[in-house]
Amino acid sequence: MLDFSVYPNGDSALDIRFNSKPSENLSRHIIGLKEYLLNKNPNNFIELIPAYQCLTLIFNPALFDSEMLSQKVQQSIQDFLKAHKNISRKSRTIRIPVCYESIFAPDISILSKHTGLSRKEIIKLHTAPSYLVHMLGFTPGFLYLGGLNPRLECPRKKNPRVRIPAGAVGIGGSQTGVYPQATPGGWQIIGQTPIQLFHPYSSHPFLADPLDIIKFYSINQAEFDDIHQSRIWN
Amino acid sequence: MSIYFIRPGLQTSIQDFGRPGLMHCGIPQGGAADILSMQLVNLLLGNCLNNPVLELTLTGPVIKFECDISIAIAGAQFNVLLNKITVENYKVIQVKRGDILEFGQLLSGTRAYIGLSATIFTSQSFNSVSTHLISHFGGNKGKAISYEERLHLKNIRIAKSAHINRNLQPCYQSRPLLRVIYGPEKKRFTELALSNFFRKTFQVSAQNNRMGIRLSPSIIVDSKAITDSSDEMISSGLYPGSIQIPNNGEPIISFIEGQTIGGYPRIAHIIRADLHRLGQLKAQDKINFQLVHQAQAREILLKKMKYLENLKNNLAPENNESFIL
Repeated sequence: MLDFSVYPNGDSALDIRFNSKPSENLSRHIIGLKEYLLNKNPNNFIELIPAYQCLTLIFNPALFDSEMLSQKVQQSIQDFLKAHKNISRKSRTIRIPVCYESIFAPDISILSKHTGLSRKEIIKLHTAPSYLVHMLGFTPGFLYLGGLNPRLECPRKKNPRVRIPAGAVGIGGSQTGVYPQATPGGWQIIGQTPIQLFHPYSSHPFLADPLDIIKFYSINQAEFDDIHQSRIWN
Repeated sequence: MSIYFIRPGLQTSIQDFGRPGLMHCGIPQGGAADILSMQLVNLLLGNCLNNPVLELTLTGPVIKFECDISIAIAGAQFNVLLNKITVENYKVIQVKRGDILEFGQLLSGTRAYIGLSATIFTSQSFNSVSTHLISHFGGNKGKAISYEERLHLKNIRIAKSAHINRNLQPCYQSRPLLRVIYGPEKKRFTELALSNFFRKTFQVSAQNNRMGIRLSPSIIVDSKAITDSSDEMISSGLYPGSIQIPNNGEPIISFIEGQTIGGYPRIAHIIRADLHRLGQLKAQDKINFQLVHQAQAREILLKKMKYLENLKNNLAPENNESFIL
């Protein structure tokens, strides 16, 4: 049985924290628990935010007493953990093209220096894994991915950039990911994808869901331009 | 049927309750920064409480009305003129086609809300016309209103006259005391860091927007560590009112368009009943934090809700919606 604790997080939320390391198995439990709680009491929570080792439940404190809700939630988690040993959701594999050429990779030389790997080796190691989407968060459609090769780990920038373009692919510590929007950011940028990760006006606004698999593949600048241009017809 | 912006003001946007329920996709709730003022203008006009309003920040617009309509203004106190004659906040104002509304000097607060006895016809995403200014979606294609822009209106009617008595209007102090309860990482902070947090008067930095409110000074003294523990923080859910302490010790309050997951230790959390007051903070304002317990936080909230319920029964007894704080 997974070890967990429930803590108040402000007067409007509870954090359910699990004491295991981030893993696919734990993410499956957290996503499964989120869906279980949502189905059981659809009106109790305004938001259910899964993270690597934590599920945050936001409620309206005018309707619930935090202490009482916490007890109810603890009981529900026990029930869930007993009843749902195998949480299965079919994962999709989504391929994301990335252009690692210098024009899109302002920090690839920093990464090269830090890791001792050549540009070619960096691309090879970055495109090899099947990354697991643990959760979405931070900004709309941002994917938190697990599975970066430890040889590619590199600290974040001391001074974050004020603006990095939408689609920028970066490495920050032991994480890698794609910025869906042009935002400030502190990761080392090693490439850019021409595809859009977030479509705010579409019926399918997000490229991927938690527990999906992401694979990056390398494209050249001409292919980048082709894909980027074809976006206007979508 | 429309309103025309001769000048847009510094940042005028369309807002409603926002988009609750999407934080697991990284989409913050957004919506009006001062949700209380937003609901009060709608209450005055006999609208449903979630009717889209205009939120203006620090410098107000100059608007020409191209139809007869009723409006109400609440929140920050500006010197507001309709055809050069001063008008009051918290009161239904009857406007004629061709009238010009001007916002002059800001007297208190930061954000004012203009309610309209009509629906704003604009772009929508995720069931809300709230303009998400940081990621550019929602009302007005996700952008603040610009010069010579026209907003189209539908369902226009004329509202009955109504006002909220002065003693019942919210007022915005220049040095608010914001009530908080301890955050989940309280135990990570040294006693000194915690006592600094409650002892110090913080100043709102120029870096404050709908995403977050940065404060200074630092709660670290003599470069002592702020946390006792050195183990890795678990990135977890943030929501409006979460107060994180990054390595430099200067608190950051998450706000309505804030990131949904964060990794800095959360020292405390603004209580829900005080969240709407964050929408009236501006650079240089001074704030203090006061610790309350969970039970007190709830009592304060229920008391405010009850007050709003009474106000609603007086102004619009036929409206059976609940206020949201």
